[in-house]
Amino acid sequence: MIPLLGLVLGVLAGFIFDVSVPLELQPYLPIAIVAALDAVFGGVRAVMEGIFNDKVFVVSFIANVLIAAFIVFLGDQLGVGSQLSTAVIVVLGIRIFTNVATIRRHVFHA
Amino acid sequence: MPEPSEPRADTTSGGQSRRFTPAAPSGLRRLWRALSKRPDAGHIGVGLLVGLLGFAAVVQVRVDQDDALANARRDDLVQILDGLRRQSERLDDQVAELEADRRDLVSGANTEAEALAQAQERARTTGILAGTAPATGPGIIMTITDPDRRVSSVLMYRAILELRDAGAEAIQITGEGNDSAVRVVLDTYFLGPEDGAMIIGGEKVEPPYTIVAIGDPGVLSGAMSFTQGVVASIEDQNADATVTEYNELTIDVLHEPEEPQYAHPAPEDEDD
Repeated sequence: MIPLLGLVLGVLAGFIFDVSVPLELQPYLPIAIVAALDAVFGGVRAVMEGIFNDKVFVVSFIANVLIAAFIVFLGDQLGVGSQLSTAVIVVLGIRIFTNVATIRRHVFHA
Repeated sequence: MPEPSEPRADTTSGGQSRRFTPAAPSGLRRLWRALSKRPDAGHIGVGLLVGLLGFAAVVQVRVDQDDALANARRDDLVQILDGLRRQSERLDDQVAELEADRRDLVSGANTEAEALAQAQERARTTGILAGTAPATGPGIIMTITDPDRRVSSVLMYRAILELRDAGAEAIQITGEGNDSAVRVVLDTYFLGPEDGAMIIGGEKVEPPYTIVAIGDPGVLSGAMSFTQGVVASIEDQNADATVTEYNELTIDVLHEPEEPQYAHPAPEDEDD
């Protein structure tokens, strides 16, 4: 209940407040969003499997975001930022697909 | 939580088929129960994070809509910046060019205004010469009483010629007899007298005549009254001529110029 409320409130806040992303964060925000999305889908899957733990979710969410941003940052420092961010997106995308596939099986039993 | 110690499902990709057994309750029901169950204090952190995700996603989407550069990598940005700098240099050049053009135009407008003033000055001068503009200045008035109407057009023409010789710049002849007036210009002709009226420039003019001439008053009156001059010739015709000098005269009779029928302005030299 609270997570759904939080999601709605966050989206609303994003629409209401006109926040400009700081310049230093701009390359990392998309990656961080994808990482967080992965964590959220994983969380939903865990709920459906009955193994959800809010502590685990919070830690994995933050860790996912930080690691993804850090990898991209590292890539930027090494001069392979675009390649590494592509790699991160690919990996996260695969994970999201896997999680959504599991959720789908839970929902449709297929 | 049936298996709280198990690692999170999203961190392991294997073992789906093992875990996916038709266990009761089903995933959907579990999700629904999770959504509808009494709020748990531990879910506040989850809600905060998910809300943060929604917020960030919306912000990012809006930034992307605002600015396509937000997603660009550093190399792309450098390239874009380079292009922009080149474009800005081009635009700077253009600005300089346009400013030079503007300066030229402004100074050209000044020149034009000067030329206009000169042309107007010339038009005034020409107007006086052509009789299309009123003239004022020092000069003389010569009154010719001609009771016997014997003063001929030739004599009148001679008087005008003498006045022009003496530097008269504007001349007007008034016929007091029929209250007519003529501005004497280049193409003014003298005929008569017929029926006691002289034809001057197409106008019937009856004596006594008054000739108004603007020029150096001393020179003009001298040109009229020298021995065997105009005044003497007029007096030979039993008429009376008096010359009076004035410091300020006005000639306000205007000549109506006619469009030349045969003569056209010759084209000016291109390099003029």
